[in-house]
Order: sequence, then C-alpha cells, then structure tokens
Amino acid sequence: MSLKTKAVGASAPDKKTPLAAKIFLGVVALYLLVPFLTTLVYSLFVEWTDVLPSGFTLRNYAELFTNSTFWFSIGRTLVLCLVSVAITIVLLLLAMYVVVAVNRRLGRFMQFVCMIPYALQGVILSIGIISLYTGTGTILSNRMFMLFGAYTILVLPYIYQGIRNALNAIDANMLIQAAEMLGCGRFRAYVQVVLPNIVSGILVSSLLAESIVFGDFVLANNIAGTNYQNIQVFLQANMARSSGLSSAIVVVIFLVVAAVTALVLKLQHTSQNK
Amino acid sequence: MAYIEFRDVVKRFGDNTVLDHISFGIQQGDLVTLLGPSGCGKSTLLRCLSGLETVTEGQIVLDGRDVTNVPASKRNIGMVFQQYSLFPNMTVEQNVAFGLKMKKVDPATIERKVAEAIAMVELSGKEKAYPSSLSGGQQQRAALARSIVTEPAVLLLDEPLSAIDAKLRKALQSRIREIHQELGLTTIFVTHDQDEAMVMSDVIQLFHSGRIEQAGSPVEVYTSPVSEFAASFIGSYNQLSASDFTALTGVPVPQGNVIAIRPETIGISRERPDEKDAHLVDGTVVDSTPRGNVLRYTVRLEGGTTVFVDVLFRSFHMFDRGNKVYLSLPERDCLVIPVNAASARTAA
Repeated sequence: MSLKTKAVGASAPDKKTPLAAKIFLGVVALYLLVPFLTTLVYSLFVEWTDVLPSGFTLRNYAELFTNSTFWFSIGRTLVLCLVSVAITIVLLLLAMYVVVAVNRRLGRFMQFVCMIPYALQGVILSIGIISLYTGTGTILSNRMFMLFGAYTILVLPYIYQGIRNALNAIDANMLIQAAEMLGCGRFRAYVQVVLPNIVSGILVSSLLAESIVFGDFVLANNIAGTNYQNIQVFLQANMARSSGLSSAIVVVIFLVVAAVTALVLKLQHTSQNK
Repeated sequence: MAYIEFRDVVKRFGDNTVLDHISFGIQQGDLVTLLGPSGCGKSTLLRCLSGLETVTEGQIVLDGRDVTNVPASKRNIGMVFQQYSLFPNMTVEQNVAFGLKMKKVDPATIERKVAEAIAMVELSGKEKAYPSSLSGGQQQRAALARSIVTEPAVLLLDEPLSAIDAKLRKALQSRIREIHQELGLTTIFVTHDQDEAMVMSDVIQLFHSGRIEQAGSPVEVYTSPVSEFAASFIGSYNQLSASDFTALTGVPVPQGNVIAIRPETIGISRERPDEKDAHLVDGTVVDSTPRGNVLRYTVRLEGGTTVFVDVLFRSFHMFDRGNKVYLSLPERDCLVIPVNAASARTAA
C-alpha cells in the first residue's frame, strides 16, 4: 500500500514587498534613527547654534578613544552584562526544568516570583542590596558582585518570559516524555532535546536584557558609583565637561549595543540553521 | 498468565477517580484497542503502563515483571503520541536513531536498523528532512518508526491518527496493522473512534467512566453489546424502551431493560412482508441520509419513536419522505439489554 503524501509548508511564491509598505517602513526607520543621527552629527562638529552645524571635528572621538577609563567602563559594562545574563539564564533553565518535567504546578509560582522585579524601583533595589550586604565581610559585600546580583534580578522577568514562551512553543513536556519513552532520563532529555530547541528564544530575550543592562544608571551609580564604573556612570561623569564628548559617548554606546545585537542575531541564525 | 496484566489498577487525580479498579490481561502479540469516549480513562491507563503516570493503587505486570514503580525510561516500551512529538531540531534519521543511541547500540547497527525502520513506514528519501517540512501523516510515520526501531516489549499508540485526514487515516490504519503483523509486536491502541477500533483490533476493551464496560473481539463487541452504553457507543444501535417495544410488537419485556437493534438488521419495504421470526411494525419515513454506500432512513413509528434503518444505496429502490413503510425487526437481532451493564439475551 502506498502512503505517499504531499509535504505541507512548501515554500510559498516569493512576493515582492509593496511600495507603500516600503515607504511606511522607511519613514518609521527614519523616525527612529533621527535621535541617533542628530547625536552623531552633534558629536562631529564644534558648534551647532544655527540651522546647520559648523566646524567639523573628530576631537571628541580622539579624546574618548585615548581615555583608558572609557575603555574600562565599556569593558565593565560588557562583563556585567554577560555575567548577569548568563547567571540568570542558567538559574532559570534549572528552575524551568523543575516546572516542565517535575511539577508543572510550580509554573504559577515561578511566574509570580519572576514578575516581582518589574514592580521593583531601581532605587529601592539598590538600597535594599546595599543595606543587606555591605559590611557583611562576605564576597557579596564586594560592589562588583553586588552589581552582578542586582542585574541578575533586573533582567529576570525578561529572560523568564523568553524562556517560558520558547518552552511553551515546543511543548517541552511532551518532548521530554517522548525522549523518556526512548530510554532517555528526564534531565538528559531536557538538555539534549529541549534546550537545543529554545536557544533561539533564549538569545532573543538575552538581547533585551543586554540593552537594559547597558542602559542602567541607577543601580550602577547607587551600588558601585566610581568603584566599578560602568558606561552610564562614565557618561554622567562627563556630561558636565562637554556636550560634544557626551554625544560621542552615546554614539559609541549605541554602536557597541548594535554590535552585540548583530552578534547575537548571527548566533540565533546559526542555531536555527542547525 | 497474560503478557501484560493490570491488577486492580486505580488512578485518582485529587478526588477524581479516573481508573476504577481495572483488571485485565493482554496476550503477547495481540493488538488490543482501548476504546471509549473522551475522559473515560483509556489514555490514562496507557500512560500508567508507559510509566509516564504513576498508579494510585494496584499493580502492572509486564512479561512476568512487576513494572508498577519502574521509571518510564527503563520499561522498554515504545509509544506514539497524538501530537507526533518528533524532536524539531533533529532530522527523521536522527529522530529514529535517538532511542538506539540511548541504548548505546553500535553505529553500524544503528545505521542499518534506522534504514529498515524508515523503509518499513515508507519514508525512504525523507531521512534528512526535518519534522517541520513533513506533513502530519509523514510525521506520524516517522514517530512510528522511532518507536518500533528499538524493538520494544510493547508498542503503545495514543490516538495517533486523530489529527490526520480521513483518507490518510485509513491508509495508516492498514499500515499499522501490517507492521504489527510483520513484527508480531504486542500493541495497545487507544482511540475514541469505534470504526478504527473495529478495523485495527484483535481485542477491544470498551471503557466507560474509568471502568471496562465490555471486552471481546470486534465481532463480539459489535454484535453482542452488554449494556445500554456499549450499544450506544458501538454500531449506532437503535434503542427502544421496554414499554415502547411491548406496545409496538406485543412482546413483553421486563422493566429495567431496553431493546437494542442494529440499523442494518431492520428490513424496510412498501408492502407488508410475509416474514417469520420477525416483529413487523409500520411507520413513516421522515428523513434519508446518504452515508457512503449506505442510505440511512429515519422512520417514525407509532407512538412517536424514531428508528434508523440502514440499507445499501441503490438508486432504483428508494423511499421518499412521508412514505408509509413496514419495518421487520428480526427476533434474533432484538437484544434485551439492561440499562446498567449485565449480560444480554435475545427477545423471543
């Protein structure tokens, strides 16, 4: 007996994007780019008091790139971002294993816990952490570790949403059960079968977390200040000195975030192709 | 001793008893269908056997070994799920090889067995395809190959065809039956479709509210329902109350029973037939519905009761709405069935 059937999801005919849609997208893109472009222009000229700026200069960038404090700030921010996002992802993946494979009723509790940071003001979080850990004499009283902890809490809801949605999209529990029936233990099934299918979701949510860490000033300033200066604190310290230099810092922050985003999207693309 | 034995199995979710003291055995090599409406407990029993659910009370024995508390991954049971559940990041080949890799089979054997299993489900040429590029039927066949390649002690099929269109479903029913016969694999098939159960099974276990209502071969279950529920679920039996049947035929029927009669056993004619061993009643055709090669008449009898009559679809011999007709109800096919399960007997 023949069971030949047609595959679904065959590639649809390539449709060109309508002109109106292109124009609309162009206008939206321009609108979103205007603040960045004006900042870029401002950072490249000596003054901008008339309709057009005057006195083109790269002085701001030269000053910035020769300042080692700036590079350390960028480096610290990247480390903060990477470590706190990584800690959150690992903790959440372990917790979500319990929710998916052991006790699904804990899902509501997890959701509640992970949503709390949404309601937590940065000032309250930072003061809370300082008053809890300062002077305890443990590793957690170190300002850098305090910041890692604070950012881990800050990005928790965003990464939780990404991981939860990715797990729901693939029906993780069913995949684990299917793997179990093939002789695979639950945790191994979670690692070998489920995780490769949610990498894309994890990467997208970590992008959001990255931009939040890069944009934070309150936590970094309150907890570490100049002890462990991140890029936003560096920006604040230089704002009074020169508006042109401040604009150059903002442009560089934007470009670094764009570069990290491009890298993550490239990784996502690679994982999807696999 | 049966190959698989359920001994007084009880499963409760909170206060809800889903399996209520289930006991029966399955012989090695049989294809047994657990049939019943949604929520009757058939899938839960299957999941208890697989190890994906624990039992509240009772014991499950597989090939002489008590597996009641053995983890699912150690039971050597294959299972095909309703939702296909192929691993999206793996090709068909990798999906099928997964179970063998878990058993640490050597690569050369894996390659050979995977190729055989894929050929058996007629998916050759799709080895490198990802699940997302396969149709529902192809995905389910890949899932079937993945489950049989490990040569499990039992193959469980949990409504595997319910999401597949009618034509392909029939083809897959036959293929599953053929594979079962080729491999001699003890197979348990869960479905709520009585036609599917009839086509597939050696034995049907009919479930109702967490209990087994009736067990037997498809012919036994179809021709001799033991309860009102079995009669209504299997074969679209007409059911006449004891008082209605007595009023129509003059034959006394003990209270607490119903008369069940299959639509295809009832004769229908314009002239009063001269039949022995049959109860004759007259009625009026109120509707006719083509059902493939069968035409189903709805006939209203005296007193307002309606019955269905199935006849082979012959365009030259049809009745219209409003036609007066005679129905002959063969005595041997009028089954007296208790409202609550018990044994059945024919009404003389």
